[in-house]
Amino acid sequence: MTGTPFSVTTRTTVTGPLVTAEGELDVVTAPRLRAAIGALPLGRGRLLVVDLAGVTFCDSSGISALIAARNVAEAAGAGLALVAVPDRLSRTFGLIGLGDFFPTYPSAEDAIAAHT
Amino acid sequence: MMCQDHPGPGGQESAGPAFSALLEDSAEDLYEHAPCGYLSTLLDGTIAKINATLLGWLGYERDEVVGRRRFADLLTVGGRIYHETHFAPLLRMQGELGGVAFELKAADGTRLPVLVTSTVKTGTDGQAQLIRTTIFDARDRRAYEQELLRAREEAERERDRVQRLVRTLQQTLLPPALSEVPGMQVAAYYHPASADEVGGDFYDLFPLTGDTWGFFLGDVSGKGAAAAVVTSLARYTLRAAAVHDPDPATVLAHLNTVLHHEYRGADPRYCTVIQGHLRPAGDAAAVALATGGHPPALLIRADGTSAFLPDPGGQLVGALPNARFAAVDVLLTPGDTLLLYTDGLTEARTQGRVRYSEEQLRQDLAGLAPTTAPAVITAVTGLLAGFGDGVEDDTALLALSIPLPGGDRP
Repeated sequence: MTGTPFSVTTRTTVTGPLVTAEGELDVVTAPRLRAAIGALPLGRGRLLVVDLAGVTFCDSSGISALIAARNVAEAAGAGLALVAVPDRLSRTFGLIGLGDFFPTYPSAEDAIAAHT
Repeated sequence: MMCQDHPGPGGQESAGPAFSALLEDSAEDLYEHAPCGYLSTLLDGTIAKINATLLGWLGYERDEVVGRRRFADLLTVGGRIYHETHFAPLLRMQGELGGVAFELKAADGTRLPVLVTSTVKTGTDGQAQLIRTTIFDARDRRAYEQELLRAREEAERERDRVQRLVRTLQQTLLPPALSEVPGMQVAAYYHPASADEVGGDFYDLFPLTGDTWGFFLGDVSGKGAAAAVVTSLARYTLRAAAVHDPDPATVLAHLNTVLHHEYRGADPRYCTVIQGHLRPAGDAAAVALATGGHPPALLIRADGTSAFLPDPGGQLVGALPNARFAAVDVLLTPGDTLLLYTDGLTEARTQGRVRYSEEQLRQDLAGLAPTTAPAVITAVTGLLAGFGDGVEDDTALLALSIPLPGGDRP
């Protein structure tokens, strides 16, 4: 049992890009999430949504990639929303004092609805 | 392809003069001047027939060889032994043997790397009659192999250089020895996950004033040279800030300002840290510590109770412009041990490949009480060794304890 293979997929919604990460987000895979987010076209006022429902593990490199995502969005004048954050990851956010650092929503639809 | 039994209309004529020349190529000429060496020997190895190609390679005249030398005589000493002990017996058993590398010794003493294939020819009665051998020139292949070997040796030397550099750099990020604190026992351990990359974990314990010591243990995000730069910056900032301000929460706030200022944007660098100071007094020690997004310190009391120290909402250091930190106080008394660790330990994959956890760590160590810093470090080192390659990240450990009166009683 070494975990689900990691994948990042991107699609576009009415408010901006929706990135879906699945599998273990760690020192090996986090650069792929960073690269995928770094390559996105992000305009002012758009919303970057990151769906974490399928993330089975997230270490400090994964958290780094999420912080980087927020910085990238901020620099572009866009917003960031994390959706379907697994309980274990929510607890980690709490532990490292980032509980209120990322805007989070139950689903991508909720995040998009809140933005429009 | 054309088949002789069914010549197509005008088949022979259309093949042209080149094809006719090929048909006239005699089997004898093909044998003598084939692009490989041919050799037939009696069963005892005496050379009965040899082609011109092989004679040319060896630099012998035909009558120097035929009837006078055995195949093994053409080999180097090592080759002769291998032929005697392996090649010949296997060939007798199997009737054929292919692709074996030998070196032939030419008349002028030079050596020719070759690949040898032999088959035993049997008569109609099934009795072995002679051995036919084909010999391919393997100089190109040998040169290629030597080039590969050189490249591999070069890569290994390069790897050694990198590992030496990594070890040296790692050592500069850790204290060569922990300061001694009167009336206390201290112990630390660093477990590198990789010999090729500098890890991002760090710790230190150092005197502040006459009766106070500062300590910290942390984990910088990422690995390698870029993380090492942050580790170095974090260490020096923490040490300098601890001298100026006694409050661990303020020390972390300083580090937060420095890191956040240096690393904003698309490549944020942050760390998780526990920063504290301790003041021995009588047979106890007052400890104050602040946590910045780090797994909580584990306190194992002399009476066998154990608990994680509460973390009043300390945030990751360096990620946010104005992160919050708060300090907690704890009094260590004889037989108490405080353990600081990084998540390389609690996120290691155990034998069942399930990740270890803080709660399991607490349960595994609670039974040691009353214990000492060295005993706890020894126990956790043993756990790490048991996880083997399940420890995917670097792990740093720092333990502080107050001995029970009457000496160590682990």
